[in-house]
Amino acid sequence: MGFTPHIVLLLYLGMLLSFGIIGYLKSKVSEEDYYLAGRGQGVLVTALTIMATFFSSSALLGIPGLVYKDGVGFLFFVLNLPLSGAAIYLLGSRIWRIGRIRGYVTPADLITDYYGGSSMLRSLVALVGFLYVIPYIIMQIKAGGYLAQRMFPDAENLSFLGMEYGIFDTGTIALSILTMLYVLIGGMRSVAWTDVVQGILLLSGMIVAGLATIMAMGGPSSFFIQLSELPPAALSVPGPSGAWSPWKLMTICMFASLATMIQPGQWMRYYAAKSVDTLKKSALIFAVGLPCCFLFGVMLVGLGARALYPPSAVSGTLLPHPKIGTSGGEFDQVVVAMIQEHVPLLIGGGLGAIVVSLILVAVMAASMSTADSNLHALSAVLTRDVYDRFIRPKASEGERAWFGRGVIIVATLLALWLVRVGGKNPDFQPFSLIAQLMFVAMAFSCQLLPLAIDALFVRRGTQAGAICGIASGILVVFLFTPFANIFLNGGLENSLKGLTSTLGKLFDTGFCGAFVNTTVFIFVSKFTKRPPNEHRNTFARDAEGIF
Amino acid sequence: MDGPNPPSIKSSRKLAWILSSVFLCALIMGPGPGLYLINDYAASGGTILRVPALYFWAVFWFAVEAAVIVAAYKLIWKDESE
Repeated sequence: MGFTPHIVLLLYLGMLLSFGIIGYLKSKVSEEDYYLAGRGQGVLVTALTIMATFFSSSALLGIPGLVYKDGVGFLFFVLNLPLSGAAIYLLGSRIWRIGRIRGYVTPADLITDYYGGSSMLRSLVALVGFLYVIPYIIMQIKAGGYLAQRMFPDAENLSFLGMEYGIFDTGTIALSILTMLYVLIGGMRSVAWTDVVQGILLLSGMIVAGLATIMAMGGPSSFFIQLSELPPAALSVPGPSGAWSPWKLMTICMFASLATMIQPGQWMRYYAAKSVDTLKKSALIFAVGLPCCFLFGVMLVGLGARALYPPSAVSGTLLPHPKIGTSGGEFDQVVVAMIQEHVPLLIGGGLGAIVVSLILVAVMAASMSTADSNLHALSAVLTRDVYDRFIRPKASEGERAWFGRGVIIVATLLALWLVRVGGKNPDFQPFSLIAQLMFVAMAFSCQLLPLAIDALFVRRGTQAGAICGIASGILVVFLFTPFANIFLNGGLENSLKGLTSTLGKLFDTGFCGAFVNTTVFIFVSKFTKRPPNEHRNTFARDAEGIF
Repeated sequence: MDGPNPPSIKSSRKLAWILSSVFLCALIMGPGPGLYLINDYAASGGTILRVPALYFWAVFWFAVEAAVIVAAYKLIWKDESE
């Protein structure tokens, strides 16, 4: 492909940096402006920034990777998207109304205000945000490394300060530093503007990748004939790995979708929208447009690869075809591998190289658009909910804005370090696939759901109930992660492993946590005092827009 | 007094219940246990309109979900100005 990928990449990166600078020039020196861009984002920006934040590297790497690994059954994951879209209006419009009236910036602002301003509750809500954001940033950074490996396979190692950096490390560092830079400079404005470009790139990348796969396999009829000849396990649920039972898929569609839509980055986008009408239109675009890009676009790449390059089981472990990758963690590379293999044959010459480069840049856009939103949201959460409340309550707006920028730098370096530690320790790979990280992050975020629904719709819970519920939900999700083994040992570890493994096969982890969370929340709320009636009524009026 | 009158609120609530029920049904039949109705046929390489059965099933229930969202957008979701 010559220098085409270099040129396309440079143009794209230059554009992102210029958005950062324009965002900075347009900004005002206030915390609210840095985090919510003056609460005036229109339909195009809101719809695309919500989609781009939602997408992440899993859209073009993780999810098609799972379709390639587990066949047609995993397609049903897409059915969570219409519910996510509906949540933009149903939850988002109430969050928008009350946020505008009361000047909220983070999720904890709303939740703790309703439940009486508890510092403990604020910390727990901030912790949920942190536990969602860090895995998400890690998976975006990893995607940068994978992409660099594919785009520049012959690149030599670099030495810097006595350390050796391979192409994977260089890709992770480049993606994270650049993302960090434009978030630091321009805040929400540049994040949202870059999301618009990245969102357009992503949507077109998904559709073009799907079309290219169908064409490479001889057109739609031939494509579907080849699909129907897949082995039975790949044509049905629970799929070759046995991971996707209908109950699990259904709970993912119900709970993971809502969890993703109330994570801090999305929640802040509801505050930042111009009006309820903006959210209403964004909801429709998201609910109908996005699933089409998956079902008729990028997921077909995973299915096509399943037919052309079937994975094989080696010593009981499923491995991708050598054309796709060499280890169990490389199922994620299916879209990149398929595009590099087939597009140049379909569209020869310079145009083919440009199309391949654009799709690869779309993969990068998917990662950057989520990393930037999450870095920005984490900065808001730690500044508003921790620094402002517990460390320096009298800090000026300017000081808080600079602290927020410091958070972005530290979080980027932490995520980079975690990726590097994972890369250097092949024995410790708790989440080797991008999609595994995605499900853990969503499971933590899901623990906000009972509180958000109660505060916005039901208003029967209590502060004590909310604290006990969210704490138990976080604990349950933690028990499902490999990190629980560090704290448990012996018989307890074994029985717990057995229980979580059985439940994990049956249901979504976030659902298990939310179930315990809700039960504890309801039980404790029965015996403790609700917020005063007047406070509840005023809150309801502000959220529902009844004056 | 502007605003919707009581009968229109009532019919809007009724429609909201109907649409929510259809959406829930799509979630149960699409990715949920309704999949068992077609799973064996899909595993044997069965097709519907020349498309693998499970793929068709996913597209069909997505269409139902999308139709519910469009109906809610047009008929229920409030259109407030800034």
